[in-house]
Amino acid sequence: MNIPGEKKTDDIGVESKNLAKPPQIIGLTVNGRQHIFKVGVDIQPNTTLRDLLKERLGLYSPKEMCQGDGSCGSCTVMLDGKPVLSCLTLAVDCDGKSVETVEGIAEAGHPLIDAFRNNYAYQCGYCTSGFIVAAKALLDRNPNPTDEEIVKALSGNICRCGAYAAIISAVREAAERLKGG
Amino acid sequence: MRTIRKFEFLNARTIDEAVNTLAAYKGKAWPFAGGTDILRMMRFQPLPENLYPEVLINLKTISPSLEYIKEEDGILSIGALTKLVDIANNALVGERYSALANAANKVASPQIRNMATISGNICQLTHCLYFSKPDNRFHCLRKGGSECPAQLGDNRYCSIFGDVNGCVAVNTSDIAPALIALNARIKTNKRMVNAGEFWDVRVPGSTILDEDEIVVEIQVPRPPPDAKSVFMKFSIRSSIDFPIVNGAALIGDGVARIALNAVAPKPYRATKAEEVLKGKTIDETAAEEAAIAAVSEASPLSFNKWKISVAKAIVKRMVLNTKSR
Ligand SMILES: Cc1cc2nc3c(=O)[nH]c(=O)nc-3n(C[C@H](O)[C@H](O)[C@H](O)COP(=O)(O)OP(=O)(O)OC[C@H]3O[C@@H](n4cnc5c(N)ncnc54)[C@H](O)[C@@H]3O)c2cc1C
Ligand code: FES
Ligand code: FES
Repeated sequence: MNIPGEKKTDDIGVESKNLAKPPQIIGLTVNGRQHIFKVGVDIQPNTTLRDLLKERLGLYSPKEMCQGDGSCGSCTVMLDGKPVLSCLTLAVDCDGKSVETVEGIAEAGHPLIDAFRNNYAYQCGYCTSGFIVAAKALLDRNPNPTDEEIVKALSGNICRCGAYAAIISAVREAAERLKGG
Repeated sequence: MRTIRKFEFLNARTIDEAVNTLAAYKGKAWPFAGGTDILRMMRFQPLPENLYPEVLINLKTISPSLEYIKEEDGILSIGALTKLVDIANNALVGERYSALANAANKVASPQIRNMATISGNICQLTHCLYFSKPDNRFHCLRKGGSECPAQLGDNRYCSIFGDVNGCVAVNTSDIAPALIALNARIKTNKRMVNAGEFWDVRVPGSTILDEDEIVVEIQVPRPPPDAKSVFMKFSIRSSIDFPIVNGAALIGDGVARIALNAVAPKPYRATKAEEVLKGKTIDETAAEEAAIAAVSEASPLSFNKWKISVAKAIVKRMVLNTKSR
């Protein structure tokens, strides 16, 4: 979807024929809906995917517990089916990609949502959306995970309130429900 | 909440475009791969104003893609932009180059391994507590300053093998020791470099790369059939955290290569330990001797003598782990 730059020279007066070009339009699918953003208008080069989801689309589920340090997982979203940190992902780097957030997971009626509620898998709830996305990614590729596999898949997410045991139970319950249990 | 510092973002379509653009901006453009290291730097801004990139050049748009893993004629070739998750999960890498697969599997967290690339990992900025403090709180040597606050300050995680150009921050790449133990080569657009010679201590960079030079491929020769490679990492938490000491070893079939990282400003090849193991059968005594030799040249700072014991334990365990096949 990138439109090659129209300018023949760039700011430093170098012939731009054999130089890298800025992306101008970013198209991405979020929770099944397509969106187009103009670079420099709707988004800037330093706009993160989390900023875009929040500021342009009103999706508040990705949090920023560690303030974008990469060390908490509360901003986790699915990018082309894999959990990534939306605080360290640039919106301009997402052209043609597909994003899924907890809003989409809930809309699709995924059993993880009820399982987190049934197991009280949170206290303050600030980490919850990150955990649910990481757990959804696990169940998508491994519908029958062992406890060890659950722990590994969730090892990039921090819960300050220490709800880990309940979170693991919730993922186990969701896996059971997906099997029809 | 801190926003990321402003920059221009350019997509390179070829290696030529990437390096021409890097050359045109004379050090003011930096390569951009997974972004997990560079964006954190652009957000917390540890550097002085004059050292930041104004332009980030996206290498992921290069075609043909630099994301691949293949083995031909006994050489494993990994494209520079291959994601760590794909290296960790690759069956071939896991079987024949297990130190590398295990190292990739121990970097940061699952989310970061889905984003981060092998070239970004080996080019990450070395840092200490002081270097990383936001807003250039400590204008240290690696920022063009005149002193190293870690020498007399909190140096508990710093080098146990002295300074390089005055800096005692450690290189925290988990991939680096695996590449050195496996005798890998790093291919750039200009040259081929042995892994052992790839790292440096600069203002603020951590590699020998020129301004207009990028890593394009990592090449690892297939280890001899009866040699085994291992990786080990000590960190505070078993996930997310940077290594406090890590290491990799390739031992057997007449070969003994041992590398440690996070113990010095550059990855540290434990040649003394390798010499001890030459011609020896691996047992408890040989492993202990190798471990003692590995740290024989250590010279700890005021707060990090304890890291010597960690490094020693890691070398001993790695050596013993190469025994059981
Ligand atoms: C919370 C957290 C925990 C971490 N834990 C670990 C850990 O445990 N172990 C570890 O090893 N690392 C760790 N890291 C550091 C680092 O982010 C990752 O190792 C990662 O591999 C960097 O890769 P990237 O592709 O995201 O790099 P980027 O951020 O894109 O780039 C990093 C640097 O490399 C340069 N670069 C990238 N590609 C090239 C190329 N092809 N040629 C020349 N230069 C290039 C960039 O200009 C930049 O300076 C951690 C990071 C975070 C945020
Ligand atoms: S906000 Fe903590 S990892 Fe993104
Ligand atoms: S419930 Fe509070 S951080 Fe997890």
